[in-house]
Amino acid sequence: MTNHWIDIRNADCIMIIGSNAAENHPISFKWVTKAMENGAKLISIDPRFTRTSSRADIYAPLRSGTDIAFMGGIINYVLQNGLYNEDYLVDHTNASFLVNPDFHFEDGLFSGYNKDERKYDKGTWQYQLDEKGIPKIDKTLKDPNCVFQLLKEHFSRYTLEKVSGTTGTSPEMIVKIAKTYGATGQNGKSGTIMYAMGTTQHTVGTQNIRTYAMLQLLLGNMGVAGGGINALRGESNVQGSTDHAILFHILPGYLKTPRSENQTLDQYLEAWTPRSNDPKSANWWQHTPKYMVSLLKAFWGDKAKIDNEFCYQYLPKVGGNYSHISLFQAMYDGLTKGLICMGQNPAVGGPNAYKERKALQRLDWLVGVDLWETETAAFWDDPDVNPKEIKTEVFMLPAAASMEKEGSITNSGRWSQWRYMAVHPPGDAKSDLWILDRLYKELKKLYASEGGSFPDPIVNLNWDYGQGEEPDVHTVAREINGYDLKTGKLLPSFGKLKDDGSTSSGNWLYCASYTEKGNMAARRDPTDAANNIGLHPNWSWCWPVNRRIIYNRASCDLEGKPYAPHKWVVKWTGPETKWAGDVPDGGWPPGEKHSFIMKPEGHARLFGFGLADGPFPEHYEPVESPVKNPFSSIQNNPAIVIWAKEMDDIGDSNRYPIIATTYRVTEHWQAGQMTRNNPWLVELMPDMFVEMSKSLAEEKNIKNGDKVRITTARGGITAYAVVTDRFKPFKLNGKILQEIGIPWHYGYKGLAKGCSANCLTPHVGDANTMIPEFKAFLCDLEKEVG
Amino acid sequence: MAEKGMLFDTDKCIACRSCQVACKQWNELPAEKTTFFAAKGGYQNPIALSPKTYNLIKFYEVEKEGRLRWLFRSHRCLHCVDPACVTACPVEPVKAMTHDKELGIVYVNKELCIGCGACNEYCPWSIPQIDDNTEKSTKCTFCIDRVTNGLEPACAKACPTGGIKYGDYGKILKMAHEAKERLEEKGRHPQIYGEKELGTGTRKIYVLPEPIDFYPDLPRDPKVSEDLGFFRELLKPFGGLALTASVIGLLIGRVKEVREKQKV
Repeated sequence: MTNHWIDIRNADCIMIIGSNAAENHPISFKWVTKAMENGAKLISIDPRFTRTSSRADIYAPLRSGTDIAFMGGIINYVLQNGLYNEDYLVDHTNASFLVNPDFHFEDGLFSGYNKDERKYDKGTWQYQLDEKGIPKIDKTLKDPNCVFQLLKEHFSRYTLEKVSGTTGTSPEMIVKIAKTYGATGQNGKSGTIMYAMGTTQHTVGTQNIRTYAMLQLLLGNMGVAGGGINALRGESNVQGSTDHAILFHILPGYLKTPRSENQTLDQYLEAWTPRSNDPKSANWWQHTPKYMVSLLKAFWGDKAKIDNEFCYQYLPKVGGNYSHISLFQAMYDGLTKGLICMGQNPAVGGPNAYKERKALQRLDWLVGVDLWETETAAFWDDPDVNPKEIKTEVFMLPAAASMEKEGSITNSGRWSQWRYMAVHPPGDAKSDLWILDRLYKELKKLYASEGGSFPDPIVNLNWDYGQGEEPDVHTVAREINGYDLKTGKLLPSFGKLKDDGSTSSGNWLYCASYTEKGNMAARRDPTDAANNIGLHPNWSWCWPVNRRIIYNRASCDLEGKPYAPHKWVVKWTGPETKWAGDVPDGGWPPGEKHSFIMKPEGHARLFGFGLADGPFPEHYEPVESPVKNPFSSIQNNPAIVIWAKEMDDIGDSNRYPIIATTYRVTEHWQAGQMTRNNPWLVELMPDMFVEMSKSLAEEKNIKNGDKVRITTARGGITAYAVVTDRFKPFKLNGKILQEIGIPWHYGYKGLAKGCSANCLTPHVGDANTMIPEFKAFLCDLEKEVG
Repeated sequence: MAEKGMLFDTDKCIACRSCQVACKQWNELPAEKTTFFAAKGGYQNPIALSPKTYNLIKFYEVEKEGRLRWLFRSHRCLHCVDPACVTACPVEPVKAMTHDKELGIVYVNKELCIGCGACNEYCPWSIPQIDDNTEKSTKCTFCIDRVTNGLEPACAKACPTGGIKYGDYGKILKMAHEAKERLEEKGRHPQIYGEKELGTGTRKIYVLPEPIDFYPDLPRDPKVSEDLGFFRELLKPFGGLALTASVIGLLIGRVKEVREKQKV
């Protein structure tokens, strides 16, 4: 979230799209409800009428996988009808920047596309630079090559008629939403967008989010109270896991993983440290060398020296893609021999689960670390599998639950909240930290005594978390914050980090979280800040530097005056007293630096040349779709990887005419171990089900409560039919399309058993992130006989 | 302590059912065995109130005039001001079905209860449920064990949206009217249910965002069966004698026979 949970209450309009917040983030509705009590309008956009929709002032259905078309229609309406905030666009976004005149877009493809490699050469996706190397701008926004004009042209194709014919949403409804949400473009008003996996789990997932972010920029909704682009994270600490680099492409604090071409530390820093010639650009990532060297110092301590590149060579250099789908492909192909699965259950949660279960069978060994024996840890117990034929050696390590250990949890709003151990873990269950500490120490012993092809990174790791039975989690937290290595003192903030090896920090973003003043995440003072907008700056701690709303300089004009005086975030109070309110995005006086400090050009990008699949979002159909792309002859995202390996079949709409999507419900959580083993929750939702429209049920002669067989090109599952008015068929240019929905929580272990929805989903991923396309695929269904 | 009240501001309910689970957790009630869903129109489970379930979220999927509504309601004892279950309770001289008038709470004294079912028979909503194993009546206790220790009821504590509010009855009633006004301003057709029902009202009150015909199982005009007096008359000859559930069962059977005859 650029903002945070409590801040939702400050919104004048709330759009929930790609999220079912009421069901999957019920506590968010504490704040949604407060906003509505203050007169805010709630808009729910979802293929299915959900418990979120039940609370909404406006509900609109859209066909799964058509967010860009839908948002494109809204953006076009906002642009055509002048609902955008022009001052904001000029001062805070790259709307006025001039783009290389050779940049163009034609029939679904941007300039620079290489068909064979399925990749773009981004040579033309660049700004025009002046003689000093600073991007040229036209503040009148009239230059035909300025971002604003290109944007207008691009989205002019997203007419109401075309959008409606793609999404299935009526033109009247699109206008109603555009007007209602577009009203937040006025100064003093704000709108928030809450989204989740319904947005991201598509082959155009990243561009889906971009369309939301662009709408927010057009309306001046970034950096303000009650605004922002707010990802509702699906697990209590998934934000923390991401910050600390659970994904393969980043190191802690969103530093880039070294790529194979970054052979030396100098090459790495040269490649990943952005430059700006604009003196008004803060260009925050210019500090990359300080953060990287301090990270290496945290990893390898005294062993990391200036003359050995601070042990940079200990880091693997990434040559390929190591995301979820690729990892399972490697297991399937027998390349990966062992897997440690901590708190993850891919046999239920992974895409194309039949294939992923098959991949598990080909491992030499598997370690499951979890609260219960999951379907993954017990993949050999799958009713479709003969355990006698499995050679994998499986280890099961019982883990402590969150309330059975001490540590921090970082929520969606970036608040790192310290938790104490409430109860001791049962039986032999141990904290993750204990397990990893023991595992590391054993590995170190083995590498030290037996050697190996490259023992140094393990043997030399800086690893000392005390001598007690339980490693000291506070030492870990202090290491993450970082030290001045000359004085041994904890650093007060990342402004003090250096690139000469004299500081350490396990995660620069968390530098300021645990200082000489104590553990900031453990603070519990509920007092609000002077602006009284629910920042509560002394309750826990949030990154970066306790800034509760990021990009907050964009909540003010260039004189430092808030656009919304009644819910100001920061304001300039004069050269002596400086900024008041939230921690500003840099303390420079107003106008001295551009507001979007993380971008080298200092402005938020409406034209976003960092992505793999285009500087503007463009609608492409999901890989499995019953519709020919109405916007171009390019059917699917042209920059995605096509797998087409064994067990990766893709279905066509003649055989599989029905759209399917997956989702979660309030009563169960993720792959289900924690909830399908709780009798009270099992009582509420005991069985796998599929929701469908009345007309589809009638066509297939299915009644509410019948057992139904759902099949895709990957396989079939059985579920109980819920026949409901909450699903309606989509009418696209006279063609009727049906969509069904299935929860993905069930599996063959636990108290509540049922077929796994992900046995149906395909192994295809987004062009930028490889997140699997769980949310739109094709199926057929029939009443189960017998 | 002032009389307590509870508001179900049902327009704020998201049917997360944390109140249903919190109720089971606090009262240490076991889960029920369920299959699929118990009723059309949503995810309701289990099928009805029972000795294992004091609070049940009901789902109503209603499409009218082209607009789909998905409404939710917490079904449970409303704690009447003049509770027929207490009048009907044949246990004398101290009633098993107990009315704490100071708190406005109606609860079962399990030590005295004989499990006869008269409370269920005369409840306008048939709320109390007899546990066949323990032969005791069961229902929502208003968490009297929490309330008398300065805690709010478990359901109100668990509610994330403010859809369940607990407090002094006067305040709760005021909040109910404010909630109704807010809904009216939005063009809805809200109704307060429980303020005047049965003449004297109940201490738990609903604000329903839509007219009552959206909730087909909720009696529009709840009434206590008129033969409650007749039933009390039948009890009189027994005086202070210890009655058994089977005797009361016979008497209730007799009342029902008469009731059926009168209908004809």
